[in-house]
Amino acid sequence: MSILFISDLHLQASRPDITRAFVLFLQQRANRADALYILGDFFEAWVGDDYRDDLTDEITSALQELAAKGVPIYIQHGNRDFLLGSQFCAISRATLLPEHAVISPYGYPLLLMHGDTLCTRDSDYLAFRQLVRAPQWQTAFLAKPLSDRLEIARQLRQQSRADAANKDNSIMDVTDSEVSTQLTHYAVPLLIHGHTHRPALHLEQTADHQPALRAVLGDWDQQGWYLELSMQSLQLVPFSIPAPDFVHAEQADSVLRASTLFCRSAH
Amino acid sequence: MIILHTNFGDIKIELDAEKAPKTAANFEQYVSSGFYDGVIFHRVINGFMLQGGGFEPGMTQKDTNANIENEADNGLSNLTGTLAMARTMDPHSASAQFFINVNDNTFLDHSAKTTEGWGYAVFGKVVEGMDVVNQIKTVATTSRAGHQDVPVDDVVITSAEIVD
Repeated sequence: MSILFISDLHLQASRPDITRAFVLFLQQRANRADALYILGDFFEAWVGDDYRDDLTDEITSALQELAAKGVPIYIQHGNRDFLLGSQFCAISRATLLPEHAVISPYGYPLLLMHGDTLCTRDSDYLAFRQLVRAPQWQTAFLAKPLSDRLEIARQLRQQSRADAANKDNSIMDVTDSEVSTQLTHYAVPLLIHGHTHRPALHLEQTADHQPALRAVLGDWDQQGWYLELSMQSLQLVPFSIPAPDFVHAEQADSVLRASTLFCRSAH
Repeated sequence: MIILHTNFGDIKIELDAEKAPKTAANFEQYVSSGFYDGVIFHRVINGFMLQGGGFEPGMTQKDTNANIENEADNGLSNLTGTLAMARTMDPHSASAQFFINVNDNTFLDHSAKTTEGWGYAVFGKVVEGMDVVNQIKTVATTSRAGHQDVPVDDVVITSAEIVD
């Protein structure tokens, strides 16, 4: 038995391949899990739970189907979908987690974060974040007509892309000291986060020099990623997201035939 | 012009021999040799694409001719109604299987001459029979013989022909 962690799917209408891969992931892989954790940027954008389209309907019903099989689903906000609210979660039968969530599966304490706040060198983004996470801003935004909200979201994404192109690569990664601070503050030997799109397992240290592990989830594009935690191991698993390929003959019973890149004991 | 006669109706295709000369010639070769007669659309994902040209009913894969060079860097985009070649992870591995885009799948376009960025070569477009395509894209699908998104009831290209 195991628990699965994913993040940064950036689900959007223009990537039907990723949507399809996610639905298959739920039906073929997550259906056998003890729980599924989605650590943010599940959607490319979220303008309020009152917005619905074919994509949100498909995802909602896929999550409902998983929940009906008895697999608990937990969602954390990302920097793209921070407005994902209680209504969406209730309909999808998922539980919304706080931005720092400590859980203890199999008696093993670990901290879950999206990861954007670990990138402390990105001061422009952190200032923006402070603005849009303020309850006043959110209340005002959600009170706007849907068409206005969609337009604002479009502009923000455009801005974010332009900003990212101009930022030094290192700014976009986590700051070691902040990782250490969080591990120490929450007193956990394992931190799992996404956001940076740099999937890997890193050895870290707490402030008092205790060893700790940081698992970074990968974004879904031509490849998808999930982290699997069991009693014995922690594995970061990539799998191919099928474009119009015909590799399926060899993939036999699963498009998620995964090769394990990293396999390291969590202890 | 190519006509794909299917059990849902005819789909008329115009090939772009100018921008995708090798791919268009390859497709014509499969059409004129009768390769596509009786093959199915074996992977149908509404909102994405219809893939076919490589399997017979019962999911029997047909032997193909040699792989062709990927012409995805020809400036054509994977827009709704266009045809492009399916392939394996290797960019230059297309043979007979093709797909019809039923969405603007620009993420499948060429962006760089790398394994990740090569993209999928567009070589033609549907000029008549999009109603047939739109009907096919909504058929019920299932998993069969290890394949996902296989139509429950066969969607068959009964015959394909080149017309003037």
